[in-house]
Amino acid sequence: MLEVKGLSKTFPVPKAKKGTPVKEKDPREEGRLFHAVRDLNFICNQGEILGLLGVNGAGKTTTLRMLATAITPSSGTALLDGVDVVANPLEVRKRIGFLSGSTGVYNRLTPREMVAYYGRLHGMSERLIEERMEKVFTLLDMKSFLEKRCDNLSTGMKQKVSIARTLIHDPQVLFFDEPTSGLDVLSSRTIVDFIRRCRDDGKTVIFSTHFMSEVERLCDRVVVIHHGCTGFDGSVAALREKTGQQNLEESFLTLIGGAN
Amino acid sequence: MKEVFTIYVKELREVLRDRRTLMLMIVLPTVFMPLLFHIMFSFINKQEKKASEEVIKTALINGEILPELGELFKRSEGFEVVTGFDEAKLTQALKTEEIKLGLVLPKDGADMVTGNYQLEIKAYYDNAAASSKVIRRAQKVIDAYNEESQKDRLITLGVTSALQRKAVIEPVTLVKTGIADKREIIGEQAGGLLPYFFIIFCFVGALYPAIDITAGEKERGTLETLLLTPVPRSYLVVGKFLVVFTSGITSAVLCLASMGAWIHFKAGGLSDEIGLIISSITPGDLFLVAFMLVPLAAIFAALLLTISVYAKNFKEAQSYVTPLNFVIILPAVLAMLPGVELNWGWAMVPVTNIALAIKELVKGTVDYTMLGVIFVSTSLFAGIAFAFCVSWFKREQVLFRN
Repeated sequence: MLEVKGLSKTFPVPKAKKGTPVKEKDPREEGRLFHAVRDLNFICNQGEILGLLGVNGAGKTTTLRMLATAITPSSGTALLDGVDVVANPLEVRKRIGFLSGSTGVYNRLTPREMVAYYGRLHGMSERLIEERMEKVFTLLDMKSFLEKRCDNLSTGMKQKVSIARTLIHDPQVLFFDEPTSGLDVLSSRTIVDFIRRCRDDGKTVIFSTHFMSEVERLCDRVVVIHHGCTGFDGSVAALREKTGQQNLEESFLTLIGGAN
Repeated sequence: MKEVFTIYVKELREVLRDRRTLMLMIVLPTVFMPLLFHIMFSFINKQEKKASEEVIKTALINGEILPELGELFKRSEGFEVVTGFDEAKLTQALKTEEIKLGLVLPKDGADMVTGNYQLEIKAYYDNAAASSKVIRRAQKVIDAYNEESQKDRLITLGVTSALQRKAVIEPVTLVKTGIADKREIIGEQAGGLLPYFFIIFCFVGALYPAIDITAGEKERGTLETLLLTPVPRSYLVVGKFLVVFTSGITSAVLCLASMGAWIHFKAGGLSDEIGLIISSITPGDLFLVAFMLVPLAAIFAALLLTISVYAKNFKEAQSYVTPLNFVIILPAVLAMLPGVELNWGWAMVPVTNIALAIKELVKGTVDYTMLGVIFVSTSLFAGIAFAFCVSWFKREQVLFRN
């Protein structure tokens, strides 16, 4: 279970160079500070998939990075199965898996070496790593290419390596940052199936995306982030009801248009 | 700390599977020094041989004034005397290498010979050719002539004993006892160049691994996942740092070892003095050189990591690192300048101090206290650079620069 409490992140704004055209000012900009995420609150229960929606630059990635302890919030915090991400990041990292669309693999390692490496970094014993690898590799049907260098693998195979890497330490909470961006239908399908399986296994899943079809098929809850703030928090049905639109894409557009 | 080892092993494995890195880190330093030495010495030997065996075509002008001299040149090995030139055309003939030497006796010299006055002979030669031995060899013939005629003239003057004749020519003589041995003299020249190579290899060997495991990981999108493992970031830096450090020191040690092997197997066969001196560099000296390079490799590793982790991708890292090349080459070159000698001041200047220490080791005149001071001061710099690198690695603005 994940509880997000007043999460905020502020970045310093780099000095604008002379001669650069004046851009339209983002409402989040305040002098030399940029409030990327402001006072975000939501909850995601165990066995639920929460979809994080928002346009490019809305603050989705920043939010996920804070939740996954890659960056520290400026204020507020989140509790992950009761563990505070600010106070105890190392403990949080043991419980989470993180997969983003831009995640790569180590080209000069084999899938087996790469997944085992992450197992060791998670402090697992060699025996446990072997056991988990056997399970995960069977699950993802990866046995045929375990000893090839990742360099020589297809995009779909690499995707499976990344998934195996995410799963090796059996995390209870999973974060997906636009996991299907840039993938073809087949690879996207692998990911979507995988996300659904995670939920069925009773994990907590937070998932950011642009694709409304994925939201409709997967998400139990939706949080819309607009200009770094919570624009909506509730079920997909509630979103439709609130905006009076049947089509989810229309609902989303109405919502962020209204929030403007 | 087990994680540091895990990271070290994995990064090293990746580095060793990269052909480009292997070339720069292992092949190049191993091949470079023996190749350089081989080319240098075979060239020097060839030139020397050529210069001392070559037949010097000598144009003799007004030779009739002193026929004995002309005869002596004709009899001397390696000289071919030609006539029919005049003084105005000598320069041209030397430039076209038609002749190698032009000897011009004064036109009105006959009177001077009969009056026992000193005869000035002008020697024209190409002094631009550094390896040329023309003048030295001509001087030998002249010396032989002088010795003979001195003897004759002194006997005519009544100095009959050989010992007395010696005293007349040179009543007082200097017997030189230089305290610097040959190794020191040649070490002063060659010793400046060698550390330059070692330092460069120490840097170049670490270059690609450093970029690959920082900016390269950012580019491939693996850095973020690595940061989300329950391993403290300082451990990540230590693991990566050790890999880059290992690469740099491996490269430098291979360079040293291949040079050592060359000295062991080849230098003995050199007839030249330089060969003899080079073979007096012991494995112990080379070991000390390697030892001095250790803290330097640590500085390089920390600097390279700091710079390349800031870059967004491989390409950007490469362009950031390029200026660093000069920052390292400059102090290394400084040690080659005349007048820059190892003292307490220079011992505090990183890179330069190591270059100077290596020079002293090659010269065989090393002061071990100074060596210790340099090692400590460089280690101190390495520590500062490393501490900065670690704190730099923990900054969000550095790790997530987009």
